[in-house]
Amino acid sequence: MAKWGMVIDLNKCVGCQACTAACSQENTRLPGENWQDVLYYAEGQNLTWLPRPCMHCENPSCMHVCPTKATYKTEDGVVAIDWDKCIGCKYCMIACPYGVRFYSDTKPLIAPDVRGAFPGDGKRSWAPPYRLPEQFEDAKHGVGVSPSGVVSKCTFCYHKISKAPKGTADLDEDNPATKEHTPACVRTCPAKARYFGDLDNPQSRVNQLIRDRGGVRLLDQTGNKPQVYYLTGVGGSVPSSRAKQA
Amino acid sequence: MSAQLNAPGRLNGPVLAMGLAGLVVGIAITIASLMYSGHAAFNTTNDGVSWGLPVAVYVFFVLASTGLTFVASLAMVFGMREYYPIAKRCVWLAAATLIAGFASLAFELGHPFRMLWAIPLSFQISSAMNWMGLFYTLYLVFLLLKFSRMHAGDWDSGASRNLGLASFLTVIVAHGTLGLVFGMMAMRPFWYDGLMPIYFLATAFLSGLALAVFITHLAYGFSTQNMPARIAALLAGALPRVFAFALGLVILFVAFRTITGLWSNADGLEAFHWMVRSPWFWIEAAALIVAFYILMSPGMREAARPQTVASVLVLAAIAIGRYEFVIGGQVVPLFKGTWVPGLIEYVPSLTEWMIALAAISLALALYAFGEKALDLGAEPKAG
Repeated sequence: MAKWGMVIDLNKCVGCQACTAACSQENTRLPGENWQDVLYYAEGQNLTWLPRPCMHCENPSCMHVCPTKATYKTEDGVVAIDWDKCIGCKYCMIACPYGVRFYSDTKPLIAPDVRGAFPGDGKRSWAPPYRLPEQFEDAKHGVGVSPSGVVSKCTFCYHKISKAPKGTADLDEDNPATKEHTPACVRTCPAKARYFGDLDNPQSRVNQLIRDRGGVRLLDQTGNKPQVYYLTGVGGSVPSSRAKQA
Repeated sequence: MSAQLNAPGRLNGPVLAMGLAGLVVGIAITIASLMYSGHAAFNTTNDGVSWGLPVAVYVFFVLASTGLTFVASLAMVFGMREYYPIAKRCVWLAAATLIAGFASLAFELGHPFRMLWAIPLSFQISSAMNWMGLFYTLYLVFLLLKFSRMHAGDWDSGASRNLGLASFLTVIVAHGTLGLVFGMMAMRPFWYDGLMPIYFLATAFLSGLALAVFITHLAYGFSTQNMPARIAALLAGALPRVFAFALGLVILFVAFRTITGLWSNADGLEAFHWMVRSPWFWIEAAALIVAFYILMSPGMREAARPQTVASVLVLAAIAIGRYEFVIGGQVVPLFKGTWVPGLIEYVPSLTEWMIALAAISLALALYAFGEKALDLGAEPKAG
């Protein structure tokens, strides 16, 4: 079984937000509810940025705090949410060091609240006319439009990667065999700053990059051990602080 | 006229009426706004403050309940018989405040009814929240069983004593696990502390003592002349001294925790600067210090009015402290970049205040009902 992971090359990332837009379209997110986001920071006189999906940690604190095991680790290394079990206590949002989780029943991050124009249908908290096709919706892995009163987050496009041929080392949009199984943010990145593959396979491209270019993990001191690695170096850096004192 | 107004029990009717009125208004507005706009009626957002005022109210009430059981346990578990005259009242009020806390939390959850089956069927043993829920539920059961024994006049049989001990032990574990819910969060340094359960223990005991003092005075119309001699003796003797000791301990806790937070520059501790910039922190500090001064002054410590003032000041300070504790752990954003350039701003919405009103009113109504119907001033027969 694969252990899926991602490498993001900060030397290549141009901060265009194409990944954010692709994720929002693929996964039908509300405006501002960016499972995948590119965060901008002012460091000195410079503007810098950091693409930030869910880290799908090896040792996820969100999973350990979830009282109902609604957040769990799949066999292929993805941190998923079972919406049928989530009670909306939001403890996972408290425990995630990376702020990647979103509660579906709250004020919208960006006004106006488009849910008013597309009211929910019981199963979904809102029902836009264009959304992830029904055959891909999967409440057990938190894929699709969230129901009301639950927490959602990036799934590594589980509806795509879980259908990949067994034993695949890399999910690459340039390979016709794996193109449709590649997460939307990876597939759309115009600078090809993202790589996706099996962290348990020594031959995978992600492992080569981590090894050869010194991949680092965000907030490694928390012990969550992300399965998303960043390549820094010239032109790229991982921000060290989360907030300026107001 | 004045003696008539101060007669014992005269305030039970008005308190019950106030409680029921507040409950009806609070619940009606809360349910209406939740039905109309769901939890968007709260000012908690996906920017980072996920737990708002209803969680602070929950923490306030369940720890007040914990403290009241500690006070009752001085008699029920530790054999200090001078506390028996307030034990039944404390046990009833402990149940009332616990139920009020649970009610506040239920309005905050996305799916409170799903919780009833999802937690037992998929119990995550590593989640402190589960253990907190389990032990607080067990505690409520033991507390009600103990109360029913006391109400039947069985104070000292083996079974009754064991129920008292069971309530005490379960609430020790329950409040400890509540401390761990926050204290285990290494990613939130404002909360991260292995000694958080001990901090909760001290502040819980203090809020229990303050409530015990206040409610005893309320029950007897704020006049020691109306009190049975044994209660008047307790209020002029051991109780205010224990109250002063617990208050002094909590003042030290708050002072050292704040100084450490302000001095340290670990990422996330900016919340302490947020805390001390708020006038509420200084109101809290002043209330604690004035109450401590009252309780350390021999002339005032034993008098009804200053004692009542001290208990109100302490309850207000603890309530502010619970709010700044719950919100303070969340005001530093976790990876939001320039989307949230400073600290996260949060002010409770009207709906959240209505949940607080409903919880306070529920506790008051349950208390006044007990006072009217359940003879809360009863104590064991001498001998």
